[in-house]
Formats: sequence, C-alpha cells, structure tokens
Amino acid sequence: MSRYVIGRIGQALLVLWGAYSVAYFILYLLPGDPLSIMLSASGVEIDALSPAELAKARAFYGLDQSVLQQYFSLLWGALHGDFGESLAMGRPVSSLLAERLPQTLGLAGVAIVLSLLAGIGLGYLGAYVRWRPLRQLLARLPSLGFSVPVFWIGLLLIQVFAFSLGWLPSTGNHGAASLVLPAITLAIPSAAVYAQVLQRGFQGVWHEPYIVTAYAKGLSRAQVQLRHGFKNAALPLLTLIGLQVGNTVSGAVLVETIFARNGIGRLAQEAVLRQDIPVVLAIVSISAAAFVLVNLLVDLLYPALDPRITHAPRIA
Amino acid sequence: MGIPASPLRWLAVAVATATLLGCSPAGNPQANGKTLKITFFRDNTTLVSLDPFQVYWLEHRVVLRNVAESLTDQDPATGKIIPWLAQSWEISPDALEYTFHLRKDVTFSNGTRFDAQAVKTAFDSDKAFVQQLPTTFGGTYLKGYDHAEVLDDSTVKLVLARPNAGFLQATSTTNLAILAPESYAKTAKERSLGAIIGTGPFVLDKYTPETGIRLLKRKGYAWPSANAQNKGEAHLDEVDVSYVPEESVRNGQFVQGQVDILWPRAPFSEVDTQLFQSKGAVIQSRSLPGPSLNLFPNTRGERILGDRNVRLALQKAIDRKTYATTVYSPQFPVVSSLYDTTTPYYKDQGSKLAYDPAAARQLLDQAGWTVGTDGYRYKNGKRLKLQYNLSPAETAGDVLIQDQLRQVGIELKLNVLTTADWAAGNAAGTYDLTSTYMTRADPIILQTIIDPRAANSATVATNLYAPETLPKAEALFDTGMTATDSAQRAKAYGDLQDLLIDEGSAIPVYERVWQAATNARVKNFRWTAEGFALLNDIEIKQP
Repeated sequence: MSRYVIGRIGQALLVLWGAYSVAYFILYLLPGDPLSIMLSASGVEIDALSPAELAKARAFYGLDQSVLQQYFSLLWGALHGDFGESLAMGRPVSSLLAERLPQTLGLAGVAIVLSLLAGIGLGYLGAYVRWRPLRQLLARLPSLGFSVPVFWIGLLLIQVFAFSLGWLPSTGNHGAASLVLPAITLAIPSAAVYAQVLQRGFQGVWHEPYIVTAYAKGLSRAQVQLRHGFKNAALPLLTLIGLQVGNTVSGAVLVETIFARNGIGRLAQEAVLRQDIPVVLAIVSISAAAFVLVNLLVDLLYPALDPRITHAPRIA
Repeated sequence: MGIPASPLRWLAVAVATATLLGCSPAGNPQANGKTLKITFFRDNTTLVSLDPFQVYWLEHRVVLRNVAESLTDQDPATGKIIPWLAQSWEISPDALEYTFHLRKDVTFSNGTRFDAQAVKTAFDSDKAFVQQLPTTFGGTYLKGYDHAEVLDDSTVKLVLARPNAGFLQATSTTNLAILAPESYAKTAKERSLGAIIGTGPFVLDKYTPETGIRLLKRKGYAWPSANAQNKGEAHLDEVDVSYVPEESVRNGQFVQGQVDILWPRAPFSEVDTQLFQSKGAVIQSRSLPGPSLNLFPNTRGERILGDRNVRLALQKAIDRKTYATTVYSPQFPVVSSLYDTTTPYYKDQGSKLAYDPAAARQLLDQAGWTVGTDGYRYKNGKRLKLQYNLSPAETAGDVLIQDQLRQVGIELKLNVLTTADWAAGNAAGTYDLTSTYMTRADPIILQTIIDPRAANSATVATNLYAPETLPKAEALFDTGMTATDSAQRAKAYGDLQDLLIDEGSAIPVYERVWQAATNARVKNFRWTAEGFALLNDIEIKQP
C-alpha cells in the first residue's frame, strides 16, 4: 500500500512538472518575441527603445540567458513559491493570486456542492421513479443540462432572477448573494454529468445478486436503493469530482466574465490576452496542482470506500 | 480502516467547507439616494494605473477629472483655455515662459495648501518620471518643460527650454493635474494603485483594479473650473464606478435602473439606443478630440501599400457614410478628416474622402493590379491581399470594410491578435494596415501616434509615410509645435491633414463618438472639452 502511495505521489509530481514545462515552452518559445510581448505588457513598445535600453530590458527579464537557464531559474523560483512579478500590474504574482484565489475557490466550492446535490438528487430520483413518462423526462434532463452553453445559462439566470424578479444581484463579488447565480451557472453542466453517471450506475446495480439478496431479506424498494444500490452506483462520481475541479478554472473564465467577478478565471483570461507570461504560468501551475491533488486524493480514497479495489500487490 | 464508508458523510464535510469558503462578509455599503453609479466596459489591464500623468485610458481620465484638478480648463464649445486653479496667466512673447497666478483658497484633500511650491513639485516630479520612462503618455504633454520658478506664494513661472504650442492646453488636462506633494513622495506604483491626493470635488476612496472605484464628496470644496455651473460642494455624496465586461449584463443593469450612467467605449447600436430612450434615458454624445479612427498603412519593405495609387484606391473604396449609418445609426456623424471635428484646427477633408469605387478601380488598374476570375485583383500572379492587424476582436465595422474592399478586388485579411501580439506586430512592421488612437483636445496628440520621433511605436509612425513624405510631415509637426500664434498653427495642421490624406498615409474610417446613456434621475450631465464629465455639476432627482 505505501509503495503504491509513494508511486502515486511521484506520478502526481511528474504530471505537475509536465504541465508547468509544457506551459513554459508554449509561452516562451512559440510565436512572437517574448521581450517585445513583455515590454508591451508593461506599457513600452520595443521599437521605442535604443539598443542599450533593449539590452538592459533583456537582462531585467532574464531573457539574456539561454532557454534552459531561464527555464530552470523560473522553475526553481516556482518551487519556492516565487512566481515572479506580473508585467502589467508590477506586483508579485503570488500576492495577486492570494487576492483572487479566494473568490474562485468560493465559487468553485459552492458550485461543486450544488452540482453534487442537484446531480445526485436528479440521478437518485430518476432511478426511483417508476412512472414511465416522468422517468423518461428525468433521464433526458441531464443531456439538456450538459448541452446548453454555460454563457447562455448565465445570461438567462441574470435575466430572470436579477432583472425580472430582482432577487439576486447580477454582478459583483460582494457577499453570499452575489455567489448564487454564478455558482448555479457553473454547477449545471457538472450536475448533468453526475446525474447521468448515477442513473447509469443504478441501471448496472439493479441486476447485481446482492440486490436480489436484499429484496429476499424483505427490504422495501426504497430501502434497497438507499442502503445497497446507492453506495455502489455512486462510486464513479468520485472520479468525476476530480475532473470537475480540473474544469473549474476554464469554467470560471466564462462565469466570472459574465458576472463581472474578480477571480482567477478572469485573471487568466486577461493575462492570456496581454501575454503576461508569469501570471499565466502561475495560474496553470495552481490549477494543475489542484487537479493533481484532488485526483490523488480520489485514487487514495477508492480502496477505503470500495473494498473490492485494492492496491496491494497481487499474490499469484 | 477508520474511514467512514458513507459518501454522504463526505458530502457533509464538503458542504461545510464550501460554505465556509463561499461566504465572505457582505461588504456592500448601503447606497443612499445621493450615490451616482457609473458602469464602464472594463478596466485597463495593460497598464494598471490611476496615476494621472501616466493614464491614457479614457475611463480613468473621467474619474480623475473629478479628483485631481489642473491649472487651467478648456471650454468644450470653443476649445479656449479658461481659468481653474490658476486665475490668470501670462505667456512671454517667445512662448517659453508661462506665469500662472494661482487661487489662494485651494487645499488638497489631505489638508495641505495648494500653492506655487506644490505646482513646482508636481511639474518637477512629472519631469523626473519622464526621464525614467520616456515613453510614458504624459511625456508628450510636458515636452519642452525645463523648470519652475516660485515667484511668490501664489505665483509660479513654468519655463520651457523649447517652444511647445500645446503647453497651455496641456496644463488643462488630467495628465498635468496637480497632486499633493504627499502623492509625489510615494512611488509611482503606489500612485498607480490609488495614492492620488488632489484638490477636486471628490476624493478617491478606493480603487480595486478590474472591479471598481469609489469616490466620496470633498467637504468644503469651493474652487471649480470656469466650466462648472455648481460653484460649491458636489451635489452627490458618493460616486460608484464599476466595470462590467459583458455587454448584455451591463445594458440590463442600466435598463433595470441599477446603474445611473452607462458609459461603454463603443457607441450604442440603434436598437439599444431606442430601448434606452423608451425607458426615459438620455443619450449623451461627444466626438472625442484627437484623431478619428484611422487605418495606418505600412508602405515600407516591398509591401503592396508602398504604391501610392493603391493607398488612394483604399481611400476611395471605403464607404464611410454607409459605415456610420449601418454600424451605428443614421444620426451618426460621417468622418471628415483624420481628426475628429472637436479637435482644434480640424480641417474638413470630406470631399477627398467621398466613396468612389469607380475611381478606386481605375487607380488599381493603373497600378497594374488586374481583376482575376475570382473577382480579386492580381499582379505577377500575386493576389492583392492586405493584412489588417487588429485586437482583441473584429467588429461589425471591420467586416463591412472587408466587404467594401472586396467589391473593388482587394482582399482584406482581418488578422485578429492578442493585445500583446498586436503591439509586437506593430513594432516588427508585419502588417499592411493597423489602427490606433489617443484622445486630447489639441492636434499635437497626433505626434504620439504618427511622429516617429515621439510616437509610442516608432515603426508604425515611420511606416505610414512614403520615404519622401516623412520629412515634410516632420517639418509640419515642428511648425505646429513651435508656432506662437493661432493662425500659424491652423496653417501647419491644415497642411498636415491635407498631406496625410492626399498621400493616403491615414485612412479615416469613423468619427470617434463617445456616448453615455444617463437615466432619468441624472440631471445636468455635461461634457468637458476632452470628453469627460464634471460630476460635481450632476444632480440626482426623481423625475
């Protein structure tokens, strides 16, 4: 078991390093001159500088070193939690993240909870209901939730709940009320997936021998579904939660723009547009780290939740 | 194994954690009846700064106009310079010495007195900043400034080393606003993030980049510019500025009455205008002084637009009237020069900018570009294809121009880039057409864009002239800069406009009209000369 854990942690670190490196090489080596991009991000055009000033700027951004040297010095900094300075804002990236991250974490946290509640509720109900038309409807609902574009849902929610009914603010990041609509928007696609997977899980579970046994013991349908069916049908959701964490940043880009919230998603979008390389790199690293960490936890939890899964070496 | 087997228990933990994370304390101050809410489209994310001297971002200048004040102001109707913090001034005959007689009753919001020494500190600090960062926006306003002499407590003489005909106008701008000495003692970075202490009718309370700005009324304010109607304290207690990037949300908030002034960068569409007016809103419009929206060609390095005939064909192939009426509205002005009409010394070039596709085709024929079977023109097997670099997204207007050019056989490639790539493309000269603008109510502003000796991007500024035209343009810029009387300046800038249009070095597309929608509660919204607003004049009253 501990060998497995060490192996998985090693893998996780490898993935993290891979994400950082790929992001670095894309940002620094693909089109455009990084010096020109960095200068323009900090408000100076490269053709307004003399050769001496250019050399100074090159040294300032560490671009006078070789690619590998730059890469290792940045990586070394990142390992120590130093992501450098944002070019446009002239502030350390870490302080920027500290300011923006809580907004997105709150949004993501509430969205995950909401999507679990809605997804499990819908999936559970879909499996329980026996009246055919309703059962069909509940089975179709997730596909709808998944195929409707996020920005459209966001705008619709604003139109209905902020503008027509006036219950909730349409934008901003002040307090819990402003969190409701964006969290629902972000939660809907994930909830749809949870519901779909859970329904599918129940379909598989219904035919298992232990269900027959449970019925034979004289339990009602509701008791069987809750005590025996749900635990087994819900296991795959754990993996999906891991994936949802990974999708949070990309989802936040849209949601935070629509609802004018000040989180990591919008920071990422703005940083990409002005090619503020240190900021982009830091966001990639943070979201990759969150993704890797959650998936590691999920993998480690599985054997605890499902005794059939074991990571101990097989004895032939 | 001590791990609970029930997923429900995990769920409970997750709920608790998320609730803790999600609930930040409600920090929304209770808005009272005297709070004016303004919504802009977005914050400047390229240069995050509220430092007046560095700021070119129009929305920030609107805010700063009400926090930091200048020696003079400019009459929005006539362009004449009028008193503000200085009651009067004299200019020496050689136009190198400006003596300002200051008001004696003015204080900064930190309590410090506004006096000749404060003016000297401001100008000297600005000069020191230009020496550090020569490309900063305020640099062009300060051009030629050498030193200040404190003659007495309320008289200061600003001495120029070289003539700068735009200097008096510069003293009226937000860029040369006078901050308290305390602000200049701080770093530029601190000023950028809001350490701005001015003499204005409002005090900058809070700036959160990309979220908003809050201004509070300055108690005891009594020294407005000659432009203002309200001679005392502001009628408003508070001004809340927010940035809402999504257009439909922004418009919805305004229609719902949650916002008093809706003030995006691009003019409203016909449909939106009608919607707002049906709710009792008023659309305020002003052409922004400075260049209109021009396309600047790249004539260098064997590029297609090196040929003057092709440039002139482009000039004639764009239907500016259709652009104004279809992209915006039938009331929208049709661009008539490379300057907007509100710029001093603007000269009407309308007749040269008329839509004439037949003449355009003829010019292209003369240039040796013949129509191929696909409708596009070819020369030596090469298609007449122009790359137009733009950022961050193409507009309906860009697509319209693409179509208009296609009709005379020119292919316009809309090359959409990130802001950073766009700037890099300009610097490297890898474009056929590019576009940029700045706002200032003096024709000198054009030098920031298209005088290679002063421009942000020397490449764009150089490339738009054919080699033999550049010295002529530079001579005209110099004449305009060193002229001491108005007639000389009018001649120089008139000739400059003729030259740039005749050579096809600037291809005007539309008049940069700035619009703000004010709801029925907002009374007495008035533009300043540079397209900002004096918020101390605004009153909020139930209609």
